[in-house]
Amino acid sequence: MAFETSDPTAGSPGLTGVRAVKLLVAGGFGVGKTTLVTAVSEIKPLRTEERLSAIGAGVDDLTGVERKTTTTVALDFGRITINQDVVLYLFGTPGQDRFWFMWRELSVGALGAVVLADTRRLDDSFGSIDFFESREIPFIVAVNCFDGAEVYDEEEVRLALDLEAHVPVQLCDVRDRDSSKRVLVRLLEHLMTVATAGATASRW
Amino acid sequence: MKHGRDDRSFEFDPGPLIRPFAVTRGRAGKDLHQLDIITLVVAVRPEADVAGLDREYGDILRMCQGRPLSVAEISAKLGLLLAAVKVLVSDLINSGHLIYRSPPPPTSGRPDIKLLQAVLDGVRNL
Repeated sequence: MAFETSDPTAGSPGLTGVRAVKLLVAGGFGVGKTTLVTAVSEIKPLRTEERLSAIGAGVDDLTGVERKTTTTVALDFGRITINQDVVLYLFGTPGQDRFWFMWRELSVGALGAVVLADTRRLDDSFGSIDFFESREIPFIVAVNCFDGAEVYDEEEVRLALDLEAHVPVQLCDVRDRDSSKRVLVRLLEHLMTVATAGATASRW
Repeated sequence: MKHGRDDRSFEFDPGPLIRPFAVTRGRAGKDLHQLDIITLVVAVRPEADVAGLDREYGDILRMCQGRPLSVAEISAKLGLLLAAVKVLVSDLINSGHLIYRSPPPPTSGRPDIKLLQAVLDGVRNL
């Protein structure tokens, strides 16, 4: 059929050369994922929903129920137009463990991820870290410094989370746009480092 | 995917709760074009004639006039599940109303350094 393999760069002036990329923001429930996305997005963050299919069997929480046999999970995301050729989407991944099947779809093709951590609940970060490590998706850890939370330095966080030495740790306040922006910059710099190292390594 | 319980949902209008599935006429499984959540689509003809199309098709075509939108954005704007939007968008691709561009398949450990640099520059300039 005509468009099955349509060369997307041809045919429509509106789509020539345009490509979309995505970054993920992961972390425990209530850690500030959507706040970070909101801080840097050019649009008011949007919410989309996906259905929990067979993989969700055993899920008992009926958040966003369509019918009693169908459960959905919400996903908040923002958009940053990088230039006329590239659009960046930022997805805040659902925090609960049982929604990890969504992460699998989301993580395919993702450039990288931010694991947002709360020092009061560092345990909540382990799942995200394990997930990205096992899928070899490069990530950084951003520590959201909530008001009143005890402040740890990067090294303490690194030790507590048992992070590998090359994983950057950055303290931040996701309510602040510049601070959130610096988190993304740090992630992208890390992705560049990883990509450059990979290119060098593969040349042997 | 099995949707045995959906079979009766398009025989009558069951109301807004079931509509997200009814609009796809019970189809929900196959993404013929392997549409991703960030696949971009745009209307082929800037002034697409949406008369005669079902409401949701018309809505999608109208929002994709002249600028590409992702499947995720269409889903959010329509208030329909991603799975349903993928079916509707596939239909519009098949009928020649939309063209699409999916993100490149995951590369085998070869990130596009130029692309990363462009994204980094873009974020720095926010």
